[in-house]
Amino acid sequence: MKRRTMRRWILPVILAAAALALPDAIGSASPGELHEFVRGSWKAIRHAQAGRPVVVHFWGVTCGPCQVEMPRWDKLLHERADLELVTVNADLVPDDPGAVSNMLAETGLAGAENWMFNDGFVERLRFEIDPQWQGEIPLTVLIGRDGGTTTIEGVVEPDVIRTWLDGQVQASK
Amino acid sequence: MRRELLGRLIGTVVVVMSAPVTAQTPTSHAQMSHDHGGATSACNSPTLACATKVTPAFAADGTLWLAWMAAGIVSVAHSQDGGRTFSPAVAVNPTPLDLDWGPDARPKIAIDGDGRIFVAFAIFKDKAFNGEVFYTRSADGGHSFEPPRPITTNQESQRFEAIALDPNGALFAAWLDKRNRAPAKERNEKYVGAGLAFTWSDDHGAGVAESTLAVDNTCECCRLGIGFVGPGQPVVAFRNVFGGTVRDHAVITFADPHTPGPVQRISVDDWKTDVCPHQGPSLAVASGGTYHVTWFTNGNVRKGVFYANSRDGGRTFSDPVAIGQPGRNPSRPFLLEVRGALWLTWKEFDGEDTTVTTMVSHDDGRTWSAPKTVAQTADTSDHPLLTTDGKTAYLSWQTKNEGYHLIALRDVP
Repeated sequence: MKRRTMRRWILPVILAAAALALPDAIGSASPGELHEFVRGSWKAIRHAQAGRPVVVHFWGVTCGPCQVEMPRWDKLLHERADLELVTVNADLVPDDPGAVSNMLAETGLAGAENWMFNDGFVERLRFEIDPQWQGEIPLTVLIGRDGGTTTIEGVVEPDVIRTWLDGQVQASK
Repeated sequence: MRRELLGRLIGTVVVVMSAPVTAQTPTSHAQMSHDHGGATSACNSPTLACATKVTPAFAADGTLWLAWMAAGIVSVAHSQDGGRTFSPAVAVNPTPLDLDWGPDARPKIAIDGDGRIFVAFAIFKDKAFNGEVFYTRSADGGHSFEPPRPITTNQESQRFEAIALDPNGALFAAWLDKRNRAPAKERNEKYVGAGLAFTWSDDHGAGVAESTLAVDNTCECCRLGIGFVGPGQPVVAFRNVFGGTVRDHAVITFADPHTPGPVQRISVDDWKTDVCPHQGPSLAVASGGTYHVTWFTNGNVRKGVFYANSRDGGRTFSDPVAIGQPGRNPSRPFLLEVRGALWLTWKEFDGEDTTVTTMVSHDDGRTWSAPKTVAQTADTSDHPLLTTDGKTAYLSWQTKNEGYHLIALRDVP
């Protein structure tokens, strides 16, 4: 399941990166590696998923609630074949990639499509995602089939995602 | 570099007191300005040029002192010329430490009337981000600092310390302390947040008394604000956790040095969240006794940066007033009263540049001047802080591109 998620995502993201002439870093990650989230990455993710619902989850190794929530995403990935999940490490202070990878591995998400903020001026990354966002994590953005977004601050209850995914299935009919 | 900084300053009410520090290495700034590598930033020396957090304090003789953190070292230096040049830096901790780099953490500095310099800072002591707060002092005019000592014997976790001198010069310290977490776990009880701990020094910072908690279950990740209503009577503003889930702001006022008063809520913002906001309040207790508070919230009732005051010792607060332009993401507000003028500063961001805006009130927070943008930068920056030499209010701001600057704030009453 995790590999399925990875394969379905990595190619569109790389293609989108090439199409948009974004920094090399985006296309340089191979499956299982961390993608560098830089300026333009949010646009690339949005472009790559156009027409398909996706859950983008922002988390951090310094975030206590995230340690509770991350394993839940792994369980949901196994439960719902229609869940496309992108995780973005968005610690308020840039973190050690090793620590990020370790936490992804410990929570079962190492094989998902994982990104990590990589800009010392983190405000501008957040601004591209949501101009009002001041960096609180966990934060989850649900991007619908129609491109509409729903932002959820704090730990998300799995039932919220299940209901949203069911709604996306209905929207496709 | 100086020309570039001057070119960025805006507004006729501002007088620039300093350019980036000449004692540092300007070339490293230029290199840094092109380095957006985040955690892999090349600037890795303990110099002021590499500092991410810089905290100012003026001594009674008008000397500006800075404490900053860079490359795991807390350093202190002073300037006799308004921040143009600095003395050689003195390392508070000669061996690099994993200093607390939380967004609201920073080294603290205070100077008493006899010239003793007090410094406090926190470290991460493990991979779970448990912290430990240390304090030290210099009794020789900043030439050397005593070995940093833990501020409490408790071994659990402490972060977000604040130090201040009361009107009689007594050293007060407060911090967020998880000492009650382990006992709660032993009882199989959920523990929320952290306690607000405090202590005093009765020997001018040579030691501190064993600490106690003023209140438990406050938010664990935000800075504190401290003021005094009189000798031995601190006022502490903090982000509390109301009802186990709502992270709104409160104050406590001490009846005497060892008797904290009740928790008094500043505003019902209803920020029901389990995230760490990493944005604590700023408090100024005016000479007339009014409590002035500014804070950030993302609550159900209101979102953004707000200001309110209390004219009855914290029992009631005025309706919160929104600060800044909503579309420019206002953040990191800070308050300071200087000779009856109440200054408020904050950051805004438009997607490209960060600006620092100030406004001033001459009627104890009832009305305010028009906001003035006084500085800006195109890369990452520290929180804007206000400090005073007892006569003038200054903006103290560290930016990655331009380095440290101290800006005198002038206004027309």
